[in-house]
Amino acid sequence: MTFYNSLHTLRMDLGMLTEFVGFEHFREILTTDDVFWKAARNSLTWGIVAPLVDIPLALMLALTLHARVPFARVFRTVWFTPVLMSYPVVGVIWLWVYNYDWGMANLVLRAIGLGDYAQAWLASPATALPALILVTTWMFAGFNMVVLLAAIHAIPPEYLEAATVDGAAGWRRLLHIIVPLLRPTIVNLAILDFIGKMKQFALVWVMTRGGPMWGTETVATYVVKRAFEWKTLDLGYPSAIAVIWFVIIFGLSLLLTRVLQRREALEF
Amino acid sequence: MRRRLGRLILMVPVLVYTVFSAGPYLWTATMSLRTTDEIYRSHYGLPIPAHWDKYARAWNEFGYATYFKNSTIVSVASVLLVTVIGAMAGFAFARRRYRFPLREPLFLLIFLSVMFPPQIMLLALFQILVQYRLFNSLIGLVLVYTVTELPLTIYLLRAFFAQIPTELEEAARIDGCSDWATFWRVMFPMALPAVATTVILNFIYFWNEFLYAVVFITQQKIRTLPLAIQFLVSDQYQDVGMLATGLMIATLPVLVLYLFLSEWFVKGMTAGAVKG
Repeated sequence: MTFYNSLHTLRMDLGMLTEFVGFEHFREILTTDDVFWKAARNSLTWGIVAPLVDIPLALMLALTLHARVPFARVFRTVWFTPVLMSYPVVGVIWLWVYNYDWGMANLVLRAIGLGDYAQAWLASPATALPALILVTTWMFAGFNMVVLLAAIHAIPPEYLEAATVDGAAGWRRLLHIIVPLLRPTIVNLAILDFIGKMKQFALVWVMTRGGPMWGTETVATYVVKRAFEWKTLDLGYPSAIAVIWFVIIFGLSLLLTRVLQRREALEF
Repeated sequence: MRRRLGRLILMVPVLVYTVFSAGPYLWTATMSLRTTDEIYRSHYGLPIPAHWDKYARAWNEFGYATYFKNSTIVSVASVLLVTVIGAMAGFAFARRRYRFPLREPLFLLIFLSVMFPPQIMLLALFQILVQYRLFNSLIGLVLVYTVTELPLTIYLLRAFFAQIPTELEEAARIDGCSDWATFWRVMFPMALPAVATTVILNFIYFWNEFLYAVVFITQQKIRTLPLAIQFLVSDQYQDVGMLATGLMIATLPVLVLYLFLSEWFVKGMTAGAVKG
Protein backbone atom coordinates (compact mmCIF):
# COMPACT_ATOMS: atom_id res chain seq x y z
CA MET A 1 0.00 0.00 0.00
CA THR A 2 2.84 2.38 0.85
CA PHE A 3 4.43 1.44 -2.44
CA TYR A 4 1.19 2.14 -4.30
CA ASN A 5 0.93 5.51 -2.59
CA SER A 6 4.48 6.38 -3.52
CA LEU A 7 3.46 6.50 -7.16
CA HIS A 8 0.62 8.91 -6.47
CA THR A 9 -0.22 12.26 -4.99
CA LEU A 10 -2.66 11.89 -2.10
CA ARG A 11 -4.39 15.07 -1.06
CA MET A 12 -5.51 14.79 2.53
CA ASP A 13 -7.52 18.01 2.27
CA LEU A 14 -9.53 16.74 -0.70
CA GLY A 15 -10.80 13.48 0.81
CA MET A 16 -7.69 11.51 -0.14
CA LEU A 17 -8.02 12.42 -3.80
CA THR A 18 -5.52 10.20 -5.55
CA GLU A 19 -3.71 11.09 -8.74
CA PHE A 20 -1.19 8.88 -10.50
CA VAL A 21 2.22 10.49 -10.94
CA GLY A 22 4.44 7.50 -11.69
CA PHE A 23 8.01 7.79 -10.47
CA GLU A 24 7.85 11.59 -10.29
CA HIS A 25 8.28 11.60 -6.47
CA PHE A 26 11.30 9.35 -6.68
CA ARG A 27 12.91 11.63 -9.26
CA GLU A 28 12.26 14.71 -7.13
CA ILE A 29 13.60 13.10 -3.91
CA LEU A 30 16.77 11.82 -5.48
CA THR A 31 17.63 14.84 -7.59
CA THR A 32 16.36 18.03 -5.98
CA ASP A 33 15.52 17.31 -2.34
CA ASP A 34 18.48 18.59 -0.31
CA VAL A 35 16.79 17.92 3.01
CA PHE A 36 16.37 14.27 2.13
CA TRP A 37 20.07 13.93 1.42
CA LYS A 38 20.99 15.65 4.67
CA ALA A 39 18.62 13.40 6.57
CA ALA A 40 19.98 10.33 4.79
CA ARG A 41 23.54 11.31 5.65
CA ASN A 42 22.65 11.83 9.31
CA SER A 43 20.78 8.52 9.56
CA LEU A 44 23.60 6.68 7.84
CA THR A 45 26.21 8.26 10.11
CA TRP A 46 24.14 7.22 13.10
CA GLY A 47 23.70 3.71 11.74
CA ILE A 48 27.43 3.25 11.16
CA VAL A 49 28.92 5.08 14.15
CA ALA A 50 26.55 3.67 16.78
CA PRO A 51 27.47 -0.03 16.33
CA LEU A 52 31.17 0.88 16.10
CA VAL A 53 30.92 2.59 19.49
CA ASP A 54 28.27 0.49 21.23
CA ILE A 55 29.60 -2.96 20.54
CA PRO A 56 33.31 -2.61 21.39
CA LEU A 57 32.25 -0.78 24.55
CA ALA A 58 29.75 -3.52 25.36
CA LEU A 59 32.39 -6.17 24.71
CA MET A 60 34.87 -4.52 27.06
CA LEU A 61 32.21 -4.21 29.74
CA ALA A 62 31.20 -7.84 29.29
CA LEU A 63 34.81 -9.04 29.55
CA THR A 64 35.34 -6.98 32.69
CA LEU A 65 32.30 -8.51 34.33
CA HIS A 66 33.39 -11.94 33.13
CA ALA A 67 36.69 -11.49 35.00
CA ARG A 68 34.78 -12.09 38.24
CA VAL A 69 34.50 -8.54 39.42
CA PRO A 70 32.68 -8.46 42.77
CA PHE A 71 28.96 -7.58 42.58
CA ALA A 72 28.91 -8.37 38.85
CA ARG A 73 25.17 -9.07 38.98
CA VAL A 74 24.44 -5.69 40.50
CA PHE A 75 26.42 -3.91 37.79
CA ARG A 76 24.75 -5.92 35.09
CA THR A 77 21.32 -5.03 36.45
CA VAL A 78 22.18 -1.31 36.62
CA TRP A 79 23.77 -1.11 33.16
CA PHE A 80 20.80 -2.79 31.53
CA THR A 81 18.26 -0.37 33.01
CA PRO A 82 18.36 2.49 30.43
CA VAL A 83 16.99 0.28 27.67
CA LEU A 84 13.76 -0.15 29.65
CA MET A 85 12.91 3.56 29.45
CA SER A 86 10.97 5.21 26.65
CA TYR A 87 12.67 7.62 24.27
CA PRO A 88 10.72 10.66 25.52
CA VAL A 89 11.84 9.95 29.09
CA VAL A 90 15.44 9.44 28.01
CA GLY A 91 15.21 12.52 25.80
CA VAL A 92 14.08 14.80 28.62
CA ILE A 93 16.72 13.50 31.02
CA TRP A 94 19.44 14.12 28.43
CA LEU A 95 18.09 17.56 27.57
CA TRP A 96 18.95 18.34 31.17
CA VAL A 97 22.31 16.58 31.01
CA TYR A 98 23.24 18.75 28.00
CA ASN A 99 21.93 21.99 29.55
CA TYR A 100 24.56 24.68 29.16
CA ASP A 101 24.36 26.24 32.63
CA TRP A 102 23.71 23.35 34.95
CA GLY A 103 23.78 20.13 32.88
CA MET A 104 25.83 17.15 33.98
CA ALA A 105 27.95 17.12 30.81
CA ASN A 106 29.34 20.61 31.33
CA LEU A 107 29.52 20.07 35.08
CA VAL A 108 31.86 17.12 34.59
CA LEU A 109 33.98 19.01 32.05
CA ARG A 110 34.36 21.98 34.41
CA ALA A 111 35.15 19.67 37.32
CA ILE A 112 38.04 18.00 35.52
CA GLY A 113 39.47 21.30 34.31
CA LEU A 114 38.19 21.16 30.74
CA GLY A 115 35.71 23.97 31.33
CA ASP A 116 36.74 25.58 28.04
CA TYR A 117 35.05 22.73 26.21
CA ALA A 118 31.76 23.29 27.98
CA GLN A 119 29.18 24.29 25.40
CA ALA A 120 25.52 24.14 24.42
CA TRP A 121 25.82 20.67 22.92
CA LEU A 122 22.48 20.58 21.14
CA ALA A 123 22.65 24.10 19.73
CA SER A 124 25.43 23.62 17.20
CA PRO A 125 25.03 21.47 14.07
CA ALA A 126 28.53 20.10 14.63
CA THR A 127 27.92 18.68 18.10
CA ALA A 128 24.18 17.92 18.10
CA LEU A 129 24.35 14.64 16.20
CA PRO A 130 27.32 13.22 18.18
CA ALA A 131 25.51 14.25 21.35
CA LEU A 132 22.43 12.26 20.30
CA ILE A 133 24.54 9.27 19.30
CA LEU A 134 26.02 9.26 22.79
CA VAL A 135 22.49 9.07 24.21
CA THR A 136 21.70 5.94 22.21
CA THR A 137 25.01 4.47 23.36
CA TRP A 138 23.96 5.16 26.94
CA MET A 139 20.72 3.29 26.24
CA PHE A 140 22.08 0.32 24.30
CA ALA A 141 25.62 -0.44 25.47
CA GLY A 142 24.30 -2.21 28.57
CA PHE A 143 21.80 -4.18 26.52
CA ASN A 144 24.49 -5.35 24.08
CA MET A 145 26.74 -6.11 27.04
CA VAL A 146 24.16 -8.49 28.52
CA VAL A 147 23.79 -10.40 25.25
CA LEU A 148 27.57 -10.66 24.83
CA LEU A 149 28.05 -11.72 28.44
CA ALA A 150 25.58 -14.55 27.93
CA ALA A 151 27.47 -15.59 24.80
CA ILE A 152 30.79 -15.54 26.67
CA HIS A 153 29.33 -17.69 29.42
CA ALA A 154 28.17 -20.13 26.75
CA ILE A 155 31.73 -20.71 25.49
CA PRO A 156 32.73 -24.20 26.67
CA PRO A 157 35.41 -23.75 29.37
CA GLU A 158 37.50 -26.50 27.73
CA TYR A 159 38.31 -24.15 24.82
CA LEU A 160 39.71 -21.57 27.17
CA GLU A 161 41.63 -24.16 29.19
CA ALA A 162 43.10 -25.68 26.04
CA ALA A 163 44.19 -22.22 24.91
CA THR A 164 45.85 -21.56 28.24
CA VAL A 165 47.65 -24.89 28.09
CA ASP A 166 48.89 -23.99 24.62
CA GLY A 167 50.36 -20.84 26.06
CA ALA A 168 47.79 -18.29 24.92
CA ALA A 169 46.93 -16.05 27.81
CA GLY A 170 45.58 -12.58 28.41
CA TRP A 171 45.19 -10.52 25.27
CA ARG A 172 46.07 -13.29 22.86
CA ARG A 173 43.46 -15.56 24.35
CA LEU A 174 40.98 -12.75 24.07
CA LEU A 175 41.75 -11.87 20.46
CA HIS A 176 42.23 -15.34 19.05
CA ILE A 177 39.75 -17.41 21.03
CA ILE A 178 37.00 -15.36 22.59
CA VAL A 179 36.32 -12.76 19.89
CA PRO A 180 36.16 -15.24 16.97
CA LEU A 181 33.83 -17.48 18.95
CA LEU A 182 31.59 -14.48 19.64
CA ARG A 183 31.57 -13.35 16.03
CA PRO A 184 28.05 -14.60 15.15
CA THR A 185 26.63 -12.79 18.18
CA ILE A 186 28.61 -9.64 17.40
CA VAL A 187 27.47 -9.61 13.78
CA ASN A 188 23.89 -10.10 14.87
CA LEU A 189 24.02 -7.26 17.38
CA ALA A 190 25.80 -4.96 14.94
CA ILE A 191 23.13 -5.44 12.29
CA LEU A 192 20.35 -5.00 14.82
CA ASP A 193 21.98 -1.81 16.08
CA PHE A 194 22.47 -0.58 12.51
CA ILE A 195 18.81 -1.14 11.59
CA GLY A 196 17.63 0.43 14.84
CA LYS A 197 19.62 3.60 14.25
CA MET A 198 18.62 3.87 10.60
CA LYS A 199 14.98 4.07 11.79
CA GLN A 200 15.70 6.50 14.62
CA PHE A 201 12.79 8.86 15.18
CA ALA A 202 11.64 9.37 18.75
CA LEU A 203 14.79 10.65 20.41
CA VAL A 204 15.27 13.29 17.71
CA TRP A 205 11.62 14.27 17.85
CA VAL A 206 11.78 14.92 21.59
CA MET A 207 15.24 16.46 21.87
CA THR A 208 15.93 18.54 18.76
CA ARG A 209 13.12 18.13 16.22
CA GLY A 210 15.82 17.64 13.59
CA GLY A 211 17.53 20.97 14.28
CA PRO A 212 19.71 22.92 14.40
CA MET A 213 19.89 23.55 10.63
CA TRP A 214 18.81 19.96 9.79
CA GLY A 215 21.83 18.89 11.85
CA THR A 216 20.00 15.98 13.43
CA GLU A 217 17.21 15.44 10.90
CA THR A 218 16.78 11.73 10.24
CA VAL A 219 14.89 10.14 7.39
CA ALA A 220 12.18 9.03 9.80
CA THR A 221 11.59 12.50 11.23
CA TYR A 222 11.61 13.94 7.72
CA VAL A 223 8.93 11.46 6.61
CA VAL A 224 6.68 12.44 9.51
CA LYS A 225 7.31 16.14 8.93
CA ARG A 226 6.52 15.89 5.23
CA ALA A 227 3.37 13.91 5.94
CA PHE A 228 1.87 15.81 8.84
CA GLU A 229 3.70 19.07 9.57
CA TRP A 230 4.47 20.76 6.29
CA LYS A 231 1.29 22.01 4.76
CA THR A 232 1.74 20.04 1.56
CA LEU A 233 -1.02 17.66 2.67
CA ASP A 234 0.31 14.98 0.37
CA LEU A 235 0.90 11.44 1.60
CA GLY A 236 2.41 10.25 -1.68
CA TYR A 237 5.75 12.05 -1.40
CA PRO A 238 6.63 10.86 2.13
CA SER A 239 5.52 7.35 1.15
CA ALA A 240 8.08 7.44 -1.65
CA ILE A 241 10.78 8.46 0.86
CA ALA A 242 9.76 5.58 3.10
CA VAL A 243 9.99 3.14 0.20
CA ILE A 244 13.45 4.37 -0.82
CA TRP A 245 14.68 4.16 2.77
CA PHE A 246 13.21 0.70 3.30
CA VAL A 247 15.00 -0.58 0.21
CA ILE A 248 18.28 0.98 1.39
CA ILE A 249 18.02 -0.45 4.92
CA PHE A 250 17.08 -3.85 3.61
CA GLY A 251 19.83 -3.89 1.00
CA LEU A 252 22.53 -2.69 3.37
CA SER A 253 21.53 -5.20 6.06
CA LEU A 254 21.76 -8.03 3.56
CA LEU A 255 25.11 -6.73 2.33
CA LEU A 256 26.43 -6.41 5.88
CA THR A 257 25.35 -9.94 6.73
CA ARG A 258 27.07 -11.23 3.60
CA VAL A 259 30.33 -9.35 4.09
CA LEU A 260 30.67 -10.04 7.80
CA GLN A 261 29.86 -13.71 7.39
CA ARG A 262 32.21 -14.19 4.50
CA ARG A 263 35.07 -12.85 6.58
CA GLU A 264 34.14 -15.36 9.21
CA ALA A 265 34.28 -18.16 6.66
CA LEU A 266 37.71 -17.05 5.50
CA GLU A 267 39.21 -17.05 8.93
CA PHE A 268 38.33 -20.54 9.94
CA MET B 1 47.99 -11.00 45.49
CA ARG B 2 48.51 -9.99 41.88
CA ARG B 3 45.06 -11.29 40.99
CA ARG B 4 43.45 -9.22 43.68
CA LEU B 5 45.26 -6.13 42.46
CA GLY B 6 44.11 -6.86 38.92
CA ARG B 7 40.53 -7.04 40.05
CA LEU B 8 40.87 -3.80 41.93
CA ILE B 9 42.12 -2.06 38.79
CA LEU B 10 39.18 -3.53 36.84
CA MET B 11 36.83 -1.92 39.33
CA VAL B 12 37.83 1.55 38.09
CA PRO B 13 36.23 1.35 34.61
CA VAL B 14 33.33 -0.59 36.10
CA LEU B 15 32.58 2.16 38.59
CA VAL B 16 33.10 4.93 36.03
CA TYR B 17 30.64 3.27 33.67
CA THR B 18 28.17 2.71 36.49
CA VAL B 19 28.21 6.44 37.29
CA PHE B 20 27.65 7.22 33.60
CA SER B 21 24.88 4.65 33.35
CA ALA B 22 22.97 5.37 36.54
CA GLY B 23 23.92 9.01 37.16
CA PRO B 24 21.41 10.79 34.92
CA TYR B 25 18.48 8.76 36.23
CA LEU B 26 19.43 9.08 39.89
CA TRP B 27 19.84 12.82 39.38
CA THR B 28 16.32 12.92 37.93
CA ALA B 29 15.13 10.94 40.94
CA THR B 30 16.52 13.53 43.37
CA MET B 31 14.94 16.35 41.38
CA SER B 32 11.59 14.60 41.43
CA LEU B 33 11.49 15.13 45.20
CA ARG B 34 12.53 18.78 45.13
CA THR B 35 10.57 21.85 44.12
CA THR B 36 11.62 23.77 41.04
CA ASP B 37 12.68 26.72 43.23
CA GLU B 38 15.01 24.48 45.21
CA ILE B 39 16.40 23.01 42.00
CA TYR B 40 17.18 26.42 40.52
CA ARG B 41 19.02 27.39 43.69
CA SER B 42 21.21 24.28 43.46
CA HIS B 43 20.81 21.64 40.80
CA TYR B 44 22.63 18.89 42.61
CA GLY B 45 21.31 19.13 46.17
CA LEU B 46 19.90 16.17 48.01
CA PRO B 47 16.13 15.99 48.38
CA ILE B 48 15.99 17.25 51.98
CA PRO B 49 13.25 17.73 52.91
CA ALA B 50 11.70 15.29 50.44
CA HIS B 51 8.54 16.66 48.82
CA TRP B 52 6.61 13.43 48.38
CA ASP B 53 3.45 15.45 47.85
CA LYS B 54 4.78 16.38 44.39
CA TYR B 55 3.86 12.88 43.24
CA ALA B 56 0.27 13.42 44.35
CA ARG B 57 0.21 16.82 42.62
CA ALA B 58 1.61 15.46 39.36
CA TRP B 59 -0.91 12.63 39.52
CA ASN B 60 -3.94 14.82 40.23
CA GLU B 61 -3.20 18.28 38.84
CA PHE B 62 -0.94 17.62 35.87
CA GLY B 63 -2.97 14.83 34.31
CA TYR B 64 -0.59 11.97 34.94
CA ALA B 65 -3.48 9.92 36.36
CA THR B 66 -5.18 10.07 32.95
CA TYR B 67 -2.03 9.39 30.95
CA PHE B 68 -1.05 6.54 33.24
CA LYS B 69 -4.51 5.05 32.84
CA ASN B 70 -4.35 5.37 29.03
CA SER B 71 -0.93 3.76 28.87
CA THR B 72 -2.09 0.92 31.12
CA ILE B 73 -5.25 0.29 29.08
CA VAL B 74 -3.40 0.29 25.77
CA SER B 75 -0.48 -1.83 26.98
CA VAL B 76 -2.55 -4.42 28.82
CA ALA B 77 -5.14 -4.79 26.07
CA SER B 78 -2.48 -5.09 23.37
CA VAL B 79 -0.46 -7.60 25.37
CA LEU B 80 -3.58 -9.74 25.94
CA LEU B 81 -4.52 -9.73 22.26
CA VAL B 82 -0.99 -10.36 21.04
CA THR B 83 -0.45 -13.18 23.52
CA VAL B 84 -3.70 -15.03 22.85
CA ILE B 85 -3.58 -14.71 19.07
CA GLY B 86 0.18 -15.16 18.93
CA ALA B 87 0.16 -18.34 21.02
CA MET B 88 -2.61 -19.95 18.99
CA ALA B 89 -1.04 -18.97 15.66
CA GLY B 90 2.42 -20.01 16.84
CA PHE B 91 1.07 -23.42 17.79
CA ALA B 92 -0.76 -23.85 14.49
CA PHE B 93 2.43 -23.02 12.60
CA ALA B 94 4.46 -25.38 14.78
CA ARG B 95 2.36 -28.47 14.02
CA ARG B 96 2.25 -29.91 10.54
CA ARG B 97 -1.02 -31.59 11.47
CA TYR B 98 -2.89 -28.29 11.00
CA ARG B 99 -3.18 -27.88 7.27
CA PHE B 100 -4.47 -24.70 5.74
CA PRO B 101 -3.93 -23.06 2.37
CA LEU B 102 -0.72 -21.06 1.87
CA ARG B 103 0.74 -22.26 5.14
CA GLU B 104 4.41 -21.91 4.17
CA PRO B 105 4.15 -18.64 2.20
CA LEU B 106 2.16 -17.16 5.09
CA PHE B 107 4.84 -18.03 7.60
CA LEU B 108 7.54 -16.62 5.34
CA LEU B 109 5.53 -13.40 5.08
CA ILE B 110 5.24 -13.21 8.87
CA PHE B 111 8.94 -13.84 9.22
CA LEU B 112 9.76 -11.08 6.74
CA SER B 113 7.42 -8.59 8.37
CA VAL B 114 9.41 -8.92 11.60
CA MET B 115 12.02 -6.88 9.78
CA PHE B 116 9.73 -4.19 8.32
CA PRO B 117 10.62 -0.79 9.67
CA PRO B 118 7.62 1.02 11.17
CA GLN B 119 8.02 3.96 8.78
CA ILE B 120 6.99 1.85 5.84
CA MET B 121 3.70 0.98 7.54
CA LEU B 122 3.10 4.30 9.27
CA LEU B 123 1.43 6.20 6.44
CA ALA B 124 -0.54 3.19 5.19
CA LEU B 125 -1.82 2.48 8.72
CA PHE B 126 -2.71 6.15 9.06
CA GLN B 127 -4.92 5.93 5.97
CA ILE B 128 -6.56 2.72 7.15
CA LEU B 129 -7.28 4.16 10.60
CA VAL B 130 -8.82 7.30 9.09
CA GLN B 131 -10.94 5.19 6.75
CA TYR B 132 -12.34 3.05 9.55
CA ARG B 133 -12.78 5.99 11.92
CA LEU B 134 -10.23 4.54 14.34
CA PHE B 135 -7.92 7.53 14.08
CA ASN B 136 -7.55 9.30 17.41
CA SER B 137 -8.92 6.41 19.44
CA LEU B 138 -7.28 4.08 21.92
CA ILE B 139 -8.93 1.11 20.19
CA GLY B 140 -7.18 2.05 16.97
CA LEU B 141 -3.87 2.28 18.78
CA VAL B 142 -4.41 -1.12 20.42
CA LEU B 143 -5.11 -2.67 17.01
CA VAL B 144 -2.00 -1.09 15.51
CA TYR B 145 0.16 -2.28 18.39
CA THR B 146 -1.30 -5.75 18.15
CA VAL B 147 -0.56 -6.17 14.46
CA THR B 148 2.93 -4.69 14.73
CA GLU B 149 4.09 -7.09 17.46
CA LEU B 150 2.19 -10.19 16.32
CA PRO B 151 4.81 -11.39 13.80
CA LEU B 152 7.68 -11.49 16.30
CA THR B 153 5.44 -13.10 18.95
CA ILE B 154 4.25 -15.80 16.56
CA TYR B 155 7.82 -16.38 15.46
CA LEU B 156 9.17 -16.77 19.01
CA LEU B 157 6.30 -18.94 20.26
CA ARG B 158 6.31 -21.17 17.19
CA ALA B 159 9.97 -21.97 17.88
CA PHE B 160 9.08 -22.92 21.46
CA PHE B 161 6.06 -25.07 20.58
CA ALA B 162 8.06 -26.86 17.91
CA GLN B 163 10.40 -28.16 20.63
CA ILE B 164 7.63 -29.75 22.70
CA PRO B 165 7.23 -33.42 21.73
CA THR B 166 3.86 -34.37 20.24
CA GLU B 167 3.32 -37.34 22.59
CA LEU B 168 1.72 -35.08 25.20
CA GLU B 169 -0.96 -33.88 22.82
CA GLU B 170 -1.61 -37.42 21.66
CA ALA B 171 -2.06 -38.53 25.25
CA ALA B 172 -4.47 -35.65 25.84
CA ARG B 173 -6.41 -36.56 22.72
CA ILE B 174 -6.72 -40.19 23.81
CA ASP B 175 -8.10 -38.92 27.12
CA GLY B 176 -10.84 -37.25 25.08
CA CYS B 177 -9.64 -33.64 24.84
CA SER B 178 -10.62 -31.56 21.83
CA ASP B 179 -7.94 -29.59 19.99
CA TRP B 180 -9.11 -26.46 21.75
CA ALA B 181 -8.92 -28.02 25.21
CA THR B 182 -5.60 -29.68 24.43
CA PHE B 183 -4.13 -26.35 23.52
CA TRP B 184 -5.40 -24.34 26.47
CA ARG B 185 -5.09 -27.03 29.15
CA VAL B 186 -1.91 -28.81 28.11
CA MET B 187 0.19 -26.91 25.59
CA PHE B 188 -0.34 -23.32 26.72
CA PRO B 189 0.58 -24.03 30.36
CA MET B 190 3.69 -25.82 29.16
CA ALA B 191 4.67 -22.81 27.10
CA LEU B 192 4.30 -20.36 29.98
CA PRO B 193 8.03 -19.58 30.29
CA ALA B 194 8.17 -18.61 26.63
CA VAL B 195 4.86 -16.76 26.89
CA ALA B 196 6.17 -14.80 29.88
CA THR B 197 9.18 -13.77 27.80
CA THR B 198 7.01 -12.42 25.01
CA VAL B 199 4.65 -10.73 27.48
CA ILE B 200 7.52 -8.77 28.99
CA LEU B 201 9.06 -7.93 25.63
CA ASN B 202 5.74 -6.71 24.26
CA PHE B 203 4.67 -4.87 27.39
CA ILE B 204 7.87 -2.82 27.50
CA TYR B 205 7.52 -2.09 23.81
CA PHE B 206 3.89 -0.93 24.14
CA TRP B 207 4.51 1.04 27.33
CA ASN B 208 7.33 2.98 25.66
CA GLU B 209 6.07 3.19 22.07
CA PHE B 210 6.18 6.70 20.63
CA LEU B 211 6.13 6.88 16.82
CA TYR B 212 2.66 5.44 16.25
CA ALA B 213 1.24 7.23 19.27
CA VAL B 214 2.48 10.63 18.14
CA VAL B 215 0.97 10.22 14.67
CA PHE B 216 -2.30 8.47 15.55
CA ILE B 217 -3.31 10.34 18.72
CA THR B 218 -3.94 14.07 18.69
CA GLN B 219 -6.46 14.52 21.50
CA GLN B 220 -5.06 15.45 24.87
CA LYS B 221 -7.22 13.22 27.03
CA ILE B 222 -6.23 10.00 25.30
CA ARG B 223 -2.48 10.63 25.27
CA THR B 224 -0.24 7.84 26.51
CA LEU B 225 2.64 8.60 28.89
CA PRO B 226 5.45 8.95 26.32
CA LEU B 227 3.27 11.26 24.27
CA ALA B 228 2.24 13.30 27.32
CA ILE B 229 5.86 13.76 28.35
CA GLN B 230 6.76 15.08 24.93
CA PHE B 231 4.02 17.70 25.18
CA LEU B 232 4.79 18.60 28.78
CA VAL B 233 8.42 19.26 27.87
CA SER B 234 7.42 21.99 25.46
CA ASP B 235 4.56 23.38 27.58
CA GLN B 236 6.27 23.44 30.95
CA TYR B 237 9.91 23.52 30.08
CA GLN B 238 10.66 25.79 33.07
CA ASP B 239 9.02 23.52 35.61
CA VAL B 240 11.94 21.10 35.84
CA GLY B 241 10.90 19.76 39.25
CA MET B 242 7.41 18.71 38.23
CA LEU B 243 8.64 17.24 34.96
CA ALA B 244 11.15 15.11 36.87
CA THR B 245 8.31 13.83 39.04
CA GLY B 246 6.40 12.94 35.87
CA LEU B 247 9.35 11.03 34.46
CA MET B 248 9.56 9.00 37.64
CA ILE B 249 5.85 8.19 37.48
CA ALA B 250 6.29 7.03 33.88
CA THR B 251 9.27 4.78 34.63
CA LEU B 252 9.02 3.61 38.24
CA PRO B 253 6.40 0.86 37.76
CA VAL B 254 8.50 -0.82 35.09
CA LEU B 255 11.78 -0.36 36.95
CA VAL B 256 10.43 -1.67 40.26
CA LEU B 257 9.11 -4.76 38.50
CA TYR B 258 12.50 -5.08 36.83
CA LEU B 259 14.27 -5.07 40.21
CA PHE B 260 12.25 -8.08 41.32
CA LEU B 261 12.14 -9.95 38.03
CA SER B 262 15.38 -8.84 36.43
CA GLU B 263 16.21 -12.28 35.02
CA TRP B 264 12.87 -12.43 33.25
CA PHE B 265 13.23 -8.91 31.92
CA VAL B 266 16.69 -9.62 30.55
CA LYS B 267 15.37 -12.77 28.90
CA GLY B 268 12.40 -10.94 27.43
CA MET B 269 14.29 -7.95 26.11
CA THR B 270 17.05 -10.03 24.57
CA ALA B 271 14.60 -12.47 22.96
CA GLY B 272 14.01 -9.82 20.33
CA ALA B 273 17.74 -9.69 19.63
CA VAL B 274 18.29 -13.32 18.73
CA LYS B 275 15.85 -13.27 15.83
CA GLY B 276 18.30 -11.98 13.15
